Amino acid sequence: MSVSFRLRAVLVLATGVGAVGCAPPRVAAPQPDAEAASRLRATFVSSSASNATAEEATATGTGWAALKGRFTFAGTPGAAKALVVDKDTEVCSRGGMKLLDRSLLVDPSSKGLANVVVFARKTSRVKDPVPTVPAVFDQKNCEFLTPVFAARVGQPVDVRNSDPIGHNTNIAGTAFNQLIPANAATVYKPDSETGLPTMVTCNIHPWMKAYAMFRKDGYVAVSAPDGNFEIRDLPAGESIEFQVWHERSTGPSGALGLAQPVLKWTPKGRFQIRLEEGEVRDLGTLEVPPGAIAGTSGG
Amino acid sequence: MSVADRYSFSCQGRRQVRQPLAAAVLAVVALLAVGCGRTPPAAFRLNMVEATKQRLTPEQERQVGTILLAMFGTPDDPVALPETGLDEAKLRLAAGPVRSDIVGRKNGLYREHCVHCHGITGDGMGPTAAFLNPYPRDYRPGVYKFKSTERADKPTHADLVRTLHNGIAGTSMPSFALLSAVQVDALTEYVKYLSIRGETELALMRAFFELDDEDEGKLPESKEFLFAEILEPIAERWQSAAEARIEAPEMPTDIDLAASIAKGRELFYGDKANCVKCHGVTGLGDGQANDYDDWNKAIVEVTKELDSGRVKLAETSTRGMSADEAAEHRAQVAWVERFGKVLDGDALRPRTIPPRNLRMGIYRGGRRPLDLYYRIHAGINGAPMPAAKGTVDPEDIWHIVNYVLSLPYELDGELGADRMMVAKDRL
Repeated sequence: MSVSFRLRAVLVLATGVGAVGCAPPRVAAPQPDAEAASRLRATFVSSSASNATAEEATATGTGWAALKGRFTFAGTPGAAKALVVDKDTEVCSRGGMKLLDRSLLVDPSSKGLANVVVFARKTSRVKDPVPTVPAVFDQKNCEFLTPVFAARVGQPVDVRNSDPIGHNTNIAGTAFNQLIPANAATVYKPDSETGLPTMVTCNIHPWMKAYAMFRKDGYVAVSAPDGNFEIRDLPAGESIEFQVWHERSTGPSGALGLAQPVLKWTPKGRFQIRLEEGEVRDLGTLEVPPGAIAGTSGG
Repeated sequence: MSVADRYSFSCQGRRQVRQPLAAAVLAVVALLAVGCGRTPPAAFRLNMVEATKQRLTPEQERQVGTILLAMFGTPDDPVALPETGLDEAKLRLAAGPVRSDIVGRKNGLYREHCVHCHGITGDGMGPTAAFLNPYPRDYRPGVYKFKSTERADKPTHADLVRTLHNGIAGTSMPSFALLSAVQVDALTEYVKYLSIRGETELALMRAFFELDDEDEGKLPESKEFLFAEILEPIAERWQSAAEARIEAPEMPTDIDLAASIAKGRELFYGDKANCVKCHGVTGLGDGQANDYDDWNKAIVEVTKELDSGRVKLAETSTRGMSADEAAEHRAQVAWVERFGKVLDGDALRPRTIPPRNLRMGIYRGGRRPLDLYYRIHAGINGAPMPAAKGTVDPEDIWHIVNYVLSLPYELDGELGADRMMVAKDRL
């Protein structure tokens, strides 16, 4: 092998490395608009008192109304997978009991879809004050008893452990991660709203999973095992936008978009309704197609 | 003579290179090394993982970049709006390229000492980041582990100064005790700046989802929105950190150390404190091997979402779709593909977080008994370690502290060995 060949080979190799680099290439990010930024910065120093908008004068009605409906699933959910339980088996799989994945619960006879969350995005009035009675969030046999839990901001939540072994409860995005000793409880007061349900886990038993939703007005419904949901005491006489969510939805951040042209249901999982005083609006059966849920096949 | 001139001169000087091909290749190498023009000014990188996760359009990404530029300036020219509570003079000492100012004072401290690990944006993605374990901290979510405040609260300025001063034992984070107090103070301020900027960016990107239809996919740029709803709640938490200090009672003195250690041992293995579940029956940190911290978990969760999306798309047939549905399908395919590329370049491969091996005598957040008290009381924010506050009495926390501090020196009779326990005892 001649020297020049070897030299050439080394150089070609070096060029290759130089061209490719060591780190994977990064996707180009759009450049900010420098002129627009300096214009915007100028508005920061200007007095803000002059352009402060008056409190939005929304047409507020009187009285209260309710919204209800029923979610069904049109696909084949498939058999629920057994979770891998490799710890504290004397409690967590007592008597050979298996814990199942609950992310998609469909009632076999009625096709009802459970644990769909429907909540009001914004309301001008709330009927009931924040309850002082704690909402119970319990765990037993290494499973959270409420797969999707809702409480109001400021309402005490009694985070309980009904197992003879210790757990910890870790609510993502809230910095609440607390040891809950065997058969003990601690109180948590959510201090801010969650925009969407947030994940609750136990780090000691990683298969444990639930979702929590904290809202100021408490206008949240979680569909029952038969798919039914109802939100009561909604303010009547104003247009309320609702958000719909499911853990396994393929929509953005779990938003559940449905083809409901009458309701103008958006891909972001939203629709608007104005309710009359005393009205109980029934949306009827809302069918969720298999395409809207991850990891399922057509029916 | 510019660097480029000097470089090409040295190339011409290599007369032994006779092969035209080799010369051409050398020229290419030289060009690659030197580049073609001026180095572009340093710029902050947009949080592309979050932007893609939130499915922002290029215009929306651009709007976030523009708002951030208006509020925070650039790495060479940082801005400290009064609402942030940051001191712009300190930021200027830390920001920009490494240089000396007119009185010979060193400027550009962040780029001299921090950038190669923590990155220009403070995303923990500097050039060396991928080679370190644990990865350098990503400041953008504004979450810090080692602090004297309650779990949900920000670290105090003094907490961050202590971390810089002491470094973090058992990690690649060195001590900066050789820098002057003024320099450490400036760097601490700059780290807070990068966090407030990163948290603002996350809040802006997440705000798109909350938009109403009449906003037409554009965030309002009014002070009411940008300050009252986005920046001020973030900055306020940094400013109130000092009020969130954990009040630790004095270590109990009416019990002798051996008795306190014995009590701590009981708690360690008991169902109340439950330390054993993660730190292991041996205390070697082998009780829980498959968990992630919040930074890595975010990538793990996103990857899962992406994988299930990919599977779903692959098995969906476009036959019989309406034009709208087909367009939606194509958009979904493009999104999944782009997300894969974004993760390749903007995220490090997720790593699990092992619970601390308590027999090493290495305490990342400081080895004072008080540091361990804070860790047990509040847990470790961003990590799986939960808080014992409320369910374990302060006095019992002190007993656990004493037991944990004794662990590196505990002789384990059960092993029949008259020596300290080491990792291989697991086997």
